[in-house]
Amino acid sequence: MGKKVLIIDDSNTMRKIVTRSLRQAGLDFDTILEAGDGQAALDVLAGETVDIILSDINMPVMDGIEFLRQKQADPKIKDIPVVMITTEAGADILDEAKSLGAAGSIKKPFTPDQIQETLGSLL
Amino acid sequence: MDLNNSISQATQEIFQTMLMMEASPGQALTERANGFVDSISAIVGMAGASKGMLAIHIPASTALVITSSFLMMEVTEVDDDVKDAIGELANMVAGSIKADLTEQGQDFKLSIPSVVCGTEYEIDCLTDSDGVIMPFSIEGGNFLVEFHLQK
Repeated sequence: MGKKVLIIDDSNTMRKIVTRSLRQAGLDFDTILEAGDGQAALDVLAGETVDIILSDINMPVMDGIEFLRQKQADPKIKDIPVVMITTEAGADILDEAKSLGAAGSIKKPFTPDQIQETLGSLL
Repeated sequence: MDLNNSISQATQEIFQTMLMMEASPGQALTERANGFVDSISAIVGMAGASKGMLAIHIPASTALVITSSFLMMEVTEVDDDVKDAIGELANMVAGSIKADLTEQGQDFKLSIPSVVCGTEYEIDCLTDSDGVIMPFSIEGGNFLVEFHLQK
């Protein structure tokens, strides 16, 4: 079965850029799902199984940190790796994300090579 | 910290990495422009122990060039995609400057970007603040990056 990725970002532009960067990095997912915030992502994950999640942190409705917290509490999805893609590169926020199970982080702006380097080992 | 340098580096890096464009910084302005015509402005607020805001002011024609480059498709009118793209641009510049300021001991959180556009509008900001306004030129137009930190 083909691989699936879920991209969570409140910016439609950024979701398109991440999608393009995945292809440029040679990471050809069969299915790319999108969500505009953490709650929308949980709704997607209630009906879909994905191989990896790429998530922004600073979002309305439910931010990336709360999404990680809710995901960790759900045994059905807690083991899906999450990579944070964010402008919030502060050590405190990234440490909190890591403590909640984030598998890695990529700082915006990013290159396809950085995406490949971070995701390659997780797939 | 040299705020002019931080803004220049952040903006140039974002344009090179995400837009494959060169953004050339000009001389910092000594007075802020608060009236804009046929433009779009994206504002990111900073709240916490330190307070302030970052804004990017872009003529509509330049915003179309930037959005077309972001999306790799021709965009011909200021629509939701353009507002979203310019908001995300402001978000990335603010995030980079925040990283520099955090290293200097400043502590604040960034808001979700707000976007204003129109044929004629004004934007006021904190009166008691240190401000930097940097003009940039790209192939296809010019824009301003404005940053204020409360004294």
